[in-house]
Amino acid sequence: MIEFMKAFKYLLPLSMLIGLDSCNNFLDVQPRSSISDDQTIIDKASAETAVNGVYDSFRSYYSINFQSIGYLSGDNIQWTGSQSQIQEFINHRVNAENSTVSAVWTGIYSTLNRINHVIEKVPNVQDPLLTAPLKNKLIGEAYFLRALAYFDLARIWGGVPIVTKPTATPSDNRGIERATQEQVYAQVLADLNAAEPLLPATTDRFRATQKTVWALKSRYYLYQKDYAKAEEYASKVISDAANYKLVTPYSAFFANDARGTTESVFEIFYSVNETNGHRGQWQPQEKGGTRQWAPNDAFVALVNDPEVGGNRNALVAKDNQGRWYGNMYYRSPATDPTFVIRIAELYLIRAEARAQTGALTGALADLNAIRERAGIAKSTAATSDQLLLAIENERRIEFALEPHRWFDLVRTGRADKVLNVTDPNRLLLPIPAEQLLIDKALKQNPGY
Amino acid sequence: MRHYLFKNRGPARSGQRIGWLIASLWLAVSAAFAGPADELTGKVTDKDGAALPGVNIQIKGTTQGTVTDTDGNFHLNVAEGQELVVSFIGYVSQQVRPGRQSSLTVKLEIDQRQLNEVIVVGYGTQERKNVIGSIAKVDPTDVKSIPVGSFDAQLQGKVPGVQITSNTGVPGEAVTVRVRGATSINGDNDPLYVIDGVFMNSNSMQTTNTGGKATSPIADINPNDIESLEVLKDAEATALYGSRGANGVIIITTKRGKFNQKAKVSLNASYGWAKAAKLWDLTTGPEHAQLVNEWWINTGKDTPSLNRTEANRPFRPVSEGGRGLPEEQKTYDRLGEIFQTAPLQNYDLSVSGGTASTKYYIGGGFTRQESILKPITFNRASFKVNLDQKISDKIQVGVSNSFARTFRNQARAGDGPAGGLLQAALHTPTYLSPTNENGELVGRAGFDNVTLLLQNYDVKSVSLRYIGNLYAEAEILPNLKFRTSWGLDFNNYDENEYWNTFLITGSPNGFASANNGQATTWLNEQTLSFRQKIGAKHSFGILVGNTIQSDLNTGTAATGRGFANNSFKLISSAATTTGSSSWSKKNLASFFSRVDYNYGGKYLLDFSIRADGSSSFGADRKWGYFPSVGGGWRVKQEDFLKNVAAISDLKIRASYGVTGNQNGLGSFAALGLWSSGSSYQGNPGIAPQQLANPDLQWERTNQLNAGADIAFFGDRLGIEFNVYRKYTSNGLLSLTLPATTGFANYRSNTAEISNKGFELAIRSVNFQNNTLSWITTFNVARNVNKIEKLENPLEYGSRSLILLQQGHPLYSFWVYKQLYVDPQTGNTVYEDVNKDGKITVADRQIDGSIWPKFFGGLTNTVTYKGFDLNAFLAFSYGNKVYNHNKFFGEGGGARDAARVIFASNNDRWQKPGDVTDVPRPDGVNVNNYRDGGSRWLEDGSFVRLRNLTIGYTIPVRHISSLRIYATGSNLFTITKYTGLDPESSASSAQNEQGIDLGTPPQPRSFQLGVNLTF
Repeated sequence: MIEFMKAFKYLLPLSMLIGLDSCNNFLDVQPRSSISDDQTIIDKASAETAVNGVYDSFRSYYSINFQSIGYLSGDNIQWTGSQSQIQEFINHRVNAENSTVSAVWTGIYSTLNRINHVIEKVPNVQDPLLTAPLKNKLIGEAYFLRALAYFDLARIWGGVPIVTKPTATPSDNRGIERATQEQVYAQVLADLNAAEPLLPATTDRFRATQKTVWALKSRYYLYQKDYAKAEEYASKVISDAANYKLVTPYSAFFANDARGTTESVFEIFYSVNETNGHRGQWQPQEKGGTRQWAPNDAFVALVNDPEVGGNRNALVAKDNQGRWYGNMYYRSPATDPTFVIRIAELYLIRAEARAQTGALTGALADLNAIRERAGIAKSTAATSDQLLLAIENERRIEFALEPHRWFDLVRTGRADKVLNVTDPNRLLLPIPAEQLLIDKALKQNPGY
Repeated sequence: MRHYLFKNRGPARSGQRIGWLIASLWLAVSAAFAGPADELTGKVTDKDGAALPGVNIQIKGTTQGTVTDTDGNFHLNVAEGQELVVSFIGYVSQQVRPGRQSSLTVKLEIDQRQLNEVIVVGYGTQERKNVIGSIAKVDPTDVKSIPVGSFDAQLQGKVPGVQITSNTGVPGEAVTVRVRGATSINGDNDPLYVIDGVFMNSNSMQTTNTGGKATSPIADINPNDIESLEVLKDAEATALYGSRGANGVIIITTKRGKFNQKAKVSLNASYGWAKAAKLWDLTTGPEHAQLVNEWWINTGKDTPSLNRTEANRPFRPVSEGGRGLPEEQKTYDRLGEIFQTAPLQNYDLSVSGGTASTKYYIGGGFTRQESILKPITFNRASFKVNLDQKISDKIQVGVSNSFARTFRNQARAGDGPAGGLLQAALHTPTYLSPTNENGELVGRAGFDNVTLLLQNYDVKSVSLRYIGNLYAEAEILPNLKFRTSWGLDFNNYDENEYWNTFLITGSPNGFASANNGQATTWLNEQTLSFRQKIGAKHSFGILVGNTIQSDLNTGTAATGRGFANNSFKLISSAATTTGSSSWSKKNLASFFSRVDYNYGGKYLLDFSIRADGSSSFGADRKWGYFPSVGGGWRVKQEDFLKNVAAISDLKIRASYGVTGNQNGLGSFAALGLWSSGSSYQGNPGIAPQQLANPDLQWERTNQLNAGADIAFFGDRLGIEFNVYRKYTSNGLLSLTLPATTGFANYRSNTAEISNKGFELAIRSVNFQNNTLSWITTFNVARNVNKIEKLENPLEYGSRSLILLQQGHPLYSFWVYKQLYVDPQTGNTVYEDVNKDGKITVADRQIDGSIWPKFFGGLTNTVTYKGFDLNAFLAFSYGNKVYNHNKFFGEGGGARDAARVIFASNNDRWQKPGDVTDVPRPDGVNVNNYRDGGSRWLEDGSFVRLRNLTIGYTIPVRHISSLRIYATGSNLFTITKYTGLDPESSASSAQNEQGIDLGTPPQPRSFQLGVNLTF
């Protein structure tokens, strides 16, 4: 026993020494592909990369999920797969557990957190390399993107919680009650107004500029039925004909791997390392897709009608089993852009705004610009109502595979007539069920 | 070959009559040949003089013998010079030479062999009689031939309280092993595997998407190299493993040589075949068409605006623009094309032995198992060298080395369309031709073409695995031992996929991907152990030690897209390539100690503690302390029991302790991080990744165990019983955050989970004499799992089929309960839980879980002369399984051309008065075929004949043993489950078990083999 204690006396400190001394270093292991959140936006480079991170966030929910809500809920697409959340949009029986709805909600708020970090931190960055114009541009981009995020929130769900500060701890930005839809739209306008003077009046189709703000303002005012302003901002962009014009034929803005054509006011950039999975939903098996959703018979008939679709029939093609599929998103590798605002939309916004305000000639001219590009005869619409219906139908074909149809019919109050959505509660989608469980401040939309 | 040990034992009491019969027979025969013999009278007693009836007396070298009568007396004719072997079960055999005596008394001593059996415990060994903890020692011999790839899958039903679920019939895939339930939601629930002292990585390194399936890193171990397995279950046994002990510890000891033993060569070879016991029953083309038409017309009636009528039904004459009338449809079989009778082969060769100072074991093995699902194969080539060298009387050094190359031909045997082999064959409607109008092979319903898949599948992985240990131990002083060791587990995992243009994933111009991952665990440990007796009664031992461990995971991946043609397969030939890499590291430093005390061989007490420091936790929470205390009372040693012959042993044990868990949350879970990689337009981007939790700490499991070991009549009947209660607090949880925070979750310690249960193991020697023995072992366990605290319910699995909710067990099924199908309307009536007249998500309820109420196994081993027979049944009662294949297949026609329809859908309601549980077709997720309906939630109870082996040992000169055998696995399964295998699960993910989709069943197999030792 005594011998044991003697030996122990030497061995124990030795092992403790080996152990404890190096322990603190040994137990401090830092990751290599991430950085600590203590100091993130501190200089020019980090400010720029943080803004890139915001665009990256848009890329994730704007690639498939957000877009699918817009077009699946319309009347052009059928579903061929097995997952019911897709069919729910087509049937207008969306459940609160719908995973697409949930993905878009979380995608947008995750983006908002990135944006709020930029808006909060970039103004305080002291770096001589970060010049005032550059700083303003970065902040302005963030404001624009926040406006877009809230705009989409408002049109999908109505009133939502408004979050304008970054999240630093798990207790931040929760328990916030839903604002009204008007308040959310007010936030959109405030952000657009903040962005406008900060951004340069340059042309950049992949990032926000002053012109991108005008384009979104035009759409915003159309939704607010402020037709004069909608027309005004549409005109500001359309008049910049050197940079923005309709490309001919219709498919020229997306076919043959085109990107960043003059058609685009704002499109989201994808590359080999920043892919867009959208093609997988549309392309048939022989092209490596699932064709989970496909143009329905009614739309195929319309778009292939030379009087209606014209050269827009490039939107559809037939696979090796004789089935039609949508062919706007087709690239391999999967780098198809997401077209957020095209100049065609601004023509049709202006046409609608003019038709609403009785400026029928101008309205018809704008509508015919689109029809002409599609290679079809000029419209014969003579009255304001005829024009509005013609514009509605034109938009259906022009933006068939882009997220417009549902929002258009909701905005004009025509979802009931056109889509048979008789329950007005169905015009807003449900707040994701699991969010209601986690955050008791949230209340569900009526009817869900 | 354990059963041979009992070959020369005496007859059992119940076998007395047969024993007499055989003895008399042989006496009669031998009388004709033997020399002059005198009758000998004798008596056999125990050491205290009590008569022992039924004792076997045999004349050595002959088959003549007898047994004692009820007073312990016997009569036998014995010639001079002949020797008697006196043996009785539970007692030490004696050899007696009666000489010229005419009467003889033999006293037999109780056999302590079972009690003296050495059990491997944490950082040491103990004799069975001194063990306080709940430890199951498993002899893997009789399950070794079950063709599953990894030894853990072979152990199903063998260890009480250890639930093993195979998930799939693909050999070498990850199985689910749970020791006394599950303790964590987002932490790991796998036990710790320690092989020859090395903490083995048991997390799959697979990155290839096979639809939720994962390869098992445990399959890199050749089961034939394993000498014994100990499963440590309670806190007393596992506390020395501290932070890794909460889910139990499985200690694997590999074979080693023996000092002073001449070389022993052992060869095992087997060959066999595996086949699916049954396949799914699908509708024919006409039946499918009929159902689709019915759905079409029904939905037209339900919703007139759809404009669906008899006139425009899909299957109307081609002349009317339809797909042809139902009766014109053909039926195409795809299942037959992908399933095969799969060959199995296995070869092991080993040499072991030793000199006075050296001992060695050298082994090599090769296994090739094809899956019943083409083209999947599993191949493992392994070799092993274990070496021990005495440098002096006091110092010994040694190494253990295992090296294996595991090659797999993989295929997507789980969920998902692209490349999903079984789904493509099973879920494509049978009426759809595999060719288009031009005769070209085409994929249908979103799936690949089965023929093209089989011809072009090219997904392979190679795991190179080294597990080794180098140790030195020295006796510094008498009773004081020092041991140091260095261990390494290195796994290089290489994956390559190539998808050519015939397949969805490779369309339109080819896709290749490669991934190379390395997992390295090294550890160093020192222990100092001391054992001392003070006086006659007191004995104690002390163990102190430390370990440092580092786990490093790195990976490099590349993809290529756009190949000039299908002959180019390397990423370097692709038009566009991408690359990425990953790195993570986790360090662990630990100190531990155990003190045990034994008073007079009656009272046992021990205390142990481990301190673990982990790099994964918050700055102030890095260290965790895991103590345990245990006590045992060997009641048999008390005077009042000493003389009760019937009870040969009785021990009562109890323990309490704390163990921890840190795995599963990732190496950097406590840190607040921003990640890079959020690039835009090719320019780098950064974004918030996770919120910091400086308080993130160890998950703690308190466990109370009480047990008793009772043996009757020596070895005849042994019973081990344990009850336990485990309570886990500070449970690691990715706490869901409201989306408005911008984060999906936050790593916290907010869950609490309990497991309570009991385990019973019985071993009975039913019958034993010279030529015949029959041994039965049985075990049964019950575990009740419950989530004690969870703020918000968590949904998992396809269609949120699994819900984790406070007050319910983990992995509960969340369904709309179908009460019946209304015979008048044909509509499903669901239980309206909240009685609001509508069926909404609020009516979804928990209905059972994947946990069985009872599970266990029953083994019968019979040996008769050279023959041996082993029959092993595993059972599980009360567990549920979601038949997700059937959910898709019994969709009532609403999925039209997108999915197959199962034949069971033919039993649908068609007209008022029909009584059935299959409703009328209406729509997808509308009412009758609602996502999450309980109609597809089934009872997964089963009894399975896991293994049946018949062997014969051929006596051959100069060969110590030559045995041939035939073995069958899964020969039958009794279950009410209507799928193929109640154990099937599409996913290997922890929280998504029990959903049967797209994976092949465990096959029925038959093998022939030979064991040769010389």
